[in-house]
Amino acid sequence: MEDQNKTSRTKLIISRLFAYIFVGFFCILCIFFFYLLVLNSTKTNFELQGKFSFIPGTNFITNFTNAINDDFVKIPVGMVNSFIVASISALLTTYFSALTAYATYVYDFKLKKLVTTFIIGVMMIPSQVSAAGFVQLAFKFGLTNKLWVLIIPSIAAPAVYFYMKQYLEATLPLEMIEAARIDGSSEFATFNRIVLPIMKPAVAVQMIFSFVGSWNNFFLPGLLLTEPELKTVPIMISQLRSADFAKFDLGKLYMFILLAILPVVVVYLLLSKFIIKGVTSGSVKG
Amino acid sequence: MKKGKQQPISYAKWGYIFIIPFFVVYIIFTLYPQILTFYNSFFENYKEGLTQVGPNFVGLDNYIQLLSPGSDGTIDIFKYFGNTMIMWIAGAIPQFVVALLLALIFTSSRLKLKGQGFAKAVIYMPNLIMASAFAMLFFSLFSTVGPINKMLIDSGILDKAIDFASIKITARGLVAVMNFIMWFGNTTIVLMAGIMGIDEALFESARIDGATSTHVFTDITLPLLRPILVYVMITSLIGGLQMFDVPQVLSKGVGMPDRSTFTVVMYLNNYLGGSKNYGMAGAISVILFVITGILSILVFKLMKKED
Amino acid sequence: MAKVQLKNIKKVYPLTEDIKKKKKDDKPAKKINLQITPEGVVAVQEFNIDIKDKEFIVLVGPSGCGKSTTLRMVAGLEEITSGELLIDDVVMNYVEPKDRDIAMVFQNYALYPHMTVFDNIAYSLRLKRLPKAEIEKKVYEAADILDIREYLNRKPKNLSGGQRQRVAIGRAIVRNPKVLLMDEPLSNLDAKLRNQMRAEIIKLREKINTTFIYVTHDQTEAMTLGDRIVVMKDGYIQQIGTPQDVFNHPANLFVAGFIGSPRMNIFDGQLVRNGNSYQVKIGDYACALSEKKCARLVANNVASQDVYIGARPDHIELSETGLEAIVDVTELMGSDIHVHMIAADKDTIVIVPTNGESLLFNKKDKLNLKLVPNTIHVFSKETEKNLEW
Repeated sequence: MEDQNKTSRTKLIISRLFAYIFVGFFCILCIFFFYLLVLNSTKTNFELQGKFSFIPGTNFITNFTNAINDDFVKIPVGMVNSFIVASISALLTTYFSALTAYATYVYDFKLKKLVTTFIIGVMMIPSQVSAAGFVQLAFKFGLTNKLWVLIIPSIAAPAVYFYMKQYLEATLPLEMIEAARIDGSSEFATFNRIVLPIMKPAVAVQMIFSFVGSWNNFFLPGLLLTEPELKTVPIMISQLRSADFAKFDLGKLYMFILLAILPVVVVYLLLSKFIIKGVTSGSVKG
Repeated sequence: MKKGKQQPISYAKWGYIFIIPFFVVYIIFTLYPQILTFYNSFFENYKEGLTQVGPNFVGLDNYIQLLSPGSDGTIDIFKYFGNTMIMWIAGAIPQFVVALLLALIFTSSRLKLKGQGFAKAVIYMPNLIMASAFAMLFFSLFSTVGPINKMLIDSGILDKAIDFASIKITARGLVAVMNFIMWFGNTTIVLMAGIMGIDEALFESARIDGATSTHVFTDITLPLLRPILVYVMITSLIGGLQMFDVPQVLSKGVGMPDRSTFTVVMYLNNYLGGSKNYGMAGAISVILFVITGILSILVFKLMKKED
Repeated sequence: MAKVQLKNIKKVYPLTEDIKKKKKDDKPAKKINLQITPEGVVAVQEFNIDIKDKEFIVLVGPSGCGKSTTLRMVAGLEEITSGELLIDDVVMNYVEPKDRDIAMVFQNYALYPHMTVFDNIAYSLRLKRLPKAEIEKKVYEAADILDIREYLNRKPKNLSGGQRQRVAIGRAIVRNPKVLLMDEPLSNLDAKLRNQMRAEIIKLREKINTTFIYVTHDQTEAMTLGDRIVVMKDGYIQQIGTPQDVFNHPANLFVAGFIGSPRMNIFDGQLVRNGNSYQVKIGDYACALSEKKCARLVANNVASQDVYIGARPDHIELSETGLEAIVDVTELMGSDIHVHMIAADKDTIVIVPTNGESLLFNKKDKLNLKLVPNTIHVFSKETEKNLEW
């Protein structure tokens, strides 16, 4: 009995050890590059051009002030632009997707089936497919270099709709809507005051994903925003690629990258548990 | 649902009213541009310097041009499609294998690892990082003056710096590695949810039936996980086809070296950026649309079958 | 051939974050009756039983009493915290489930959804690498016993609840296990099917020679199926005995209330000793106990004291004089009437046989009740134990 106990114990300990090493390796892989990023953002250009060392430098503040005062890459402007686009998009996309999901869940109308099938049908179409027409129209009507052109389309987000619909089906009993009607609530008020609060978790998750998505969005903004004062962060970051690395202040370069990803990292550090839950519930079948 | 049907007349209009914003915006900003894109693919419409050529109807000329070999005898779109697929596969295969292993480790009731929450948070994080910034970071770290080269030289592995971004295999490798890092955590979490959705009693029953953990995996876990696995793979493939940010930044938008990291969407971007060639861009979009359409129908069928 | 012994088995679940949280929350958690000690949550303790070969043992108790945990420890799905589990005199504590020569029927059947019925049943045999012909023979044999031969090529999702149940049993018996474990196998069936399957399990038992351990929360199942019943509560065994034993001589107030339907009526009263004879008093009503009962009480040297007095609904008679009761509601069950009434401030149920006549009880009717001397149970107020045993 003791022997059997022992062998099964050692077996378990060994497999546990391997599991820890395996998981640990991939955790380190994920952190390592960001660690280098933070490390390098503390160094002077001179240190960075020289021998590599794991010891942090002392130039963090200087790099920071250099980065935000740069004339070529106006990162604070970019961050403000990105923030405007991302936050308003997040609000619009969640509100209107929830509203649309609610409409096709609660009400029975002739085109309901068609509408639902259509939205789910177009869900997988990549946004790049409509980009050519979009860019063409924007240039035709002089709508380039306008942030709202990037914001408004987020009202119609089929994937968010799909998520919201699934959430409603799982959580909202139709009796509740009827109860609200009997209580004298108007249809619009019922949605705003009863349904939206119930959908809070779903709305929050989608807000985060939508914010992150548009904060990171590069393709369409890259085609539409050419004015330095209106560029968003990803465009500015891509411009760094043209810098001459032999001459460019690399400390500042790493600081730019750090600033670009920082807001998302901060949000993530605060809400990672919640976000991961959102990924799980959004997959396949809720 | 049934109860709503009792008064279809009085409330149906609200259904229409509530979907108006969504559909108006969708039609103006997505559907119309999409139709325009398709329409344009049959026209000659571009800028040459400052002169505007077209729009003139040219039938299928854009498609023919797209699918005919260039001066060096290769068909560009095929080459770029190939590039995209090579880089996707190189990242996706390790992504699925590692994600499956991690998902099994995390869900194992035998191992009961500590610090799982932390590990999951760490491996998922890269998924949210700005792809263009991540690519810029990789470029800097792997540049000839970057820390990776220095570390490799210092440790004696290399004699002199490698320009990772300008060698075909390493440039593609970097894109694949970045795709892997950005996506394996996401896949792990989705697969984990799938495994946890399997009735625990099935695993217990199999153990009593005499299955070893390998048998449990091959006979129970894998077959029951298959629909989700296929779903994840197809959505990953659709995402892979849209690969843009990473190779665009890493290769300065030209797919260097020798267009070996040039992807389909970069090709599209090229036509839209400089020459405003809406005809060719339209034709590429249509091809992209058809391919994703077929893949999406596969996903859709799969989900239907599951229900 | 297979006897099972459990010696002082104990199961403690380590405290998890969830339980710690639950402790903080004021919500009445379902398992609140479990003991939470510094080492963890105690699910089962001091569990001792010798199960004889081919015996049908039923573990019965309310949810959270530790019955399923005990079964799962026998199966090897839960680690045994302390104590010893022996099957045929071999210690099994650390033996893998697959090497214990047991089979189990799960509450939700746990059929492999991607395999046909045939493959489900054959799976354990294939893992043993039996020759194909033998596997087929055994599967068909099991299928014939359970009358599921025509479904062998179907997938579980195309079967009804009762059919799935049979497949689950088929999967268990095909291996000819030493011990067959069943975890609430009938609880997912509707009432009619449940009665039918219960009868089939009794028949099944005659066809296959094996030891059964059966878990249920349903006392009727326990009474009808078990050779012996193990009544559990809060992780402790309350009583082990034959159905007759447990019904006629409940060891304590809990068993008295749990076994038998409708449940036993319990009154507050006194036990009065008078030399070698005893009587019970409920208010002004007094009733002498039968000689046998008195003899047992004398043997235990029980003194006069306040007690709980238990009387089953079919052991109370209507009479001209006796304990006063007021009718509340009546339920006509067919050949008898369940009369709910208030007697000595307690809700009381009495089963009155109709004998083919139409009896009528109205709300507020006054009745007098008489206890039957040899069916009265007396329980200590202090320990709630049956004073006779």
